[in-house]
Amino acid sequence: MTTMTGKPDRLGTFAREAGRAIGALLIALVVALLIIIATSADPMNAFSQLLTAPLTSKRTIGYWMDDVAKLTLTGLAFSLVFQARQFSMGVQGQVYVGGLFAALVALSPAGATPLAIPLCLIAGMVGGAAYGFLPGYAKAKFGANEIVSSLMLNYIAIKVVNWITRAHLAPPNSGQLMSPPFPPEAVFPALVANTRLDLGIVVALVMTVVVWFILYRTRWGLKLRLVGDNPTFAEYAGIRANAVMIAAMTAAGAVGGLLGAVFVQGRAYGKIAENFDGNLAFEGILIAIVAKNRPLAVPLVALAYGYLRQGAQLMGNRTDVPNEMISVVQALVILLVASSFTVPGRKALGRIFKRRGAVQ
Amino acid sequence: MMDVLEAVFSVTFLAMVIRQMTPLLLATLGGLISDLSGALNVALEGMMLISALTAVLVSVHYPWYVAVLAAMTAGSALGLLMAFFHLRMRADIILVGFAVNIVATGGTVFALSLATGGDKGTSINLVSKAVPAVNLPFLKGVPGIGDLLFRLLSGHSLLTWFAFVAVFGLWFFLYRMRGGLWLRAVGEYPAAPAAAGIKVDVVRMWALVASGAFTGLAGAQLAMFNYVGFTRDMTAGRGFIALGAVLLGARHPIGALLAALLFGVFDALSFVIATRAQNFPAELIQAIPFVVTIIALILFSWRAQRAKALRGA
Repeated sequence: MTTMTGKPDRLGTFAREAGRAIGALLIALVVALLIIIATSADPMNAFSQLLTAPLTSKRTIGYWMDDVAKLTLTGLAFSLVFQARQFSMGVQGQVYVGGLFAALVALSPAGATPLAIPLCLIAGMVGGAAYGFLPGYAKAKFGANEIVSSLMLNYIAIKVVNWITRAHLAPPNSGQLMSPPFPPEAVFPALVANTRLDLGIVVALVMTVVVWFILYRTRWGLKLRLVGDNPTFAEYAGIRANAVMIAAMTAAGAVGGLLGAVFVQGRAYGKIAENFDGNLAFEGILIAIVAKNRPLAVPLVALAYGYLRQGAQLMGNRTDVPNEMISVVQALVILLVASSFTVPGRKALGRIFKRRGAVQ
Repeated sequence: MMDVLEAVFSVTFLAMVIRQMTPLLLATLGGLISDLSGALNVALEGMMLISALTAVLVSVHYPWYVAVLAAMTAGSALGLLMAFFHLRMRADIILVGFAVNIVATGGTVFALSLATGGDKGTSINLVSKAVPAVNLPFLKGVPGIGDLLFRLLSGHSLLTWFAFVAVFGLWFFLYRMRGGLWLRAVGEYPAAPAAAGIKVDVVRMWALVASGAFTGLAGAQLAMFNYVGFTRDMTAGRGFIALGAVLLGARHPIGALLAALLFGVFDALSFVIATRAQNFPAELIQAIPFVVTIIALILFSWRAQRAKALRGA
């Protein structure tokens, strides 16, 4: 059946999933509006800032695109592990390790050569991959729960990278919490002058295609998805589920490490600073869930969500509503998209009339 | 170095261990209840953070016990919310848990900023209350070791005493009462209790609510005793460490107590190092509890795996 009506089916699924995501977003925005009305002295201004601020200038569009690039990468990393049905939460730690590796290369003599950018990106990916490998190996070899181990690794990475940045990379006795600026060869060139729209977005889009190709057009990707769907069946089919799981977590780690490199090399920083990720890494969970772990959908979700994120940021700067308000929207979108919630209307009515019986 | 060793082998250090382990123990018990019911509660961190802020804000206007109850209520309400989305709306419990964590990190800062009139960092401008300490001056009268006992056991939070009692209470509930049997059965093999007419989802819902209540107490202890007041992200990963402690404690209340004790020791140790050996990098000291958790988790899982293999399972 899928072969005969493949196209329309896919379109239908896409429309249904997109409808669910947009429905969830609208509900979350209504809640956001209610919160703003309850807390702001000038709610209409705050809400319109939230919805329109990212488009006000070339500069703010640059902020938005910068976020889109980073959100795409973290979304891809989470999609990879989620597709293998692992709940590794280690992207944040990989970002820090990858950022540190990239920074070390950028600040070494190699950072001032024309090869600086590719070398830094590779260093970041290697660092992140190694850090992603650890919880996978610990799970396969010792049965250590990957959620707990990856969360612990996140904290360890943040503390250690912050320490190295403060005590070893910052200029001695300066009291600064960041390294000196990288040589210009190691910083991403801007695609549009004087904005943050830089090479990062290209890296993110290339990675999207690479991850899609690996997952859907290679044998290894098929194995990974099989392991995620049904590990027992995969074992019967002769797939070594543990090896695939470790590989998936390592590959996701490489994407996370790449994000670290994009962070420190992007025009927003051009150096490594303490706590540089600003908790963006975790927002990949939302991106991956809404995108249903589909790599090609990840940039689209990142585009929409990045807009909202930047809108909240600007609202926080320009009005009396703190930007942290957006966390409510985030959590609601995750809850609604992850649950069996359907677009309100026909089905909601059906549910009310059927009452209990339908559930379970 | 000698300084540090000297400080570690003292009664004051043991008293500090007890103080540092209390919030962790309460959160671990909370995590244990929901884990036994078959729902891994990754939201311990967020629940603790939200209830810590609730406790502080309520204690500004009301007595301490109202604030503690409010923190418990906040935790239980979050547990109920998780139960609704997990059991009724069929969302993955781990994603639901992370949604709670996300709303906690941002939401507490948002609420704090509203309550303090713009301060996003701490509640230092709010006069909040503390949980009373239990002073036991009569211990001094014990011949010989009276002074030691007094310094070890006196002056702890009321919630510390509650936590230790709760370990045994929970053990009794889980292994000597019908409700505890149901709870464990639901987590172990839900089809069996379902066939016996037990409502699996109802048991899980109560487990999540109870989990939230314990974690709420952990938040209250953190913000009303260990520190008096709220600072952003004050839980600093304790909820996740508690999650590790549940697994480390072999999913048993006594094990949870021992695991919490282990982290209490390292938490207190990092305090001692920070004050006695000031040239040691602070970041690395803060990393100690996380390193210990991950090493302990790997060793424990490895042992459990080997034991399983030996049994031929």
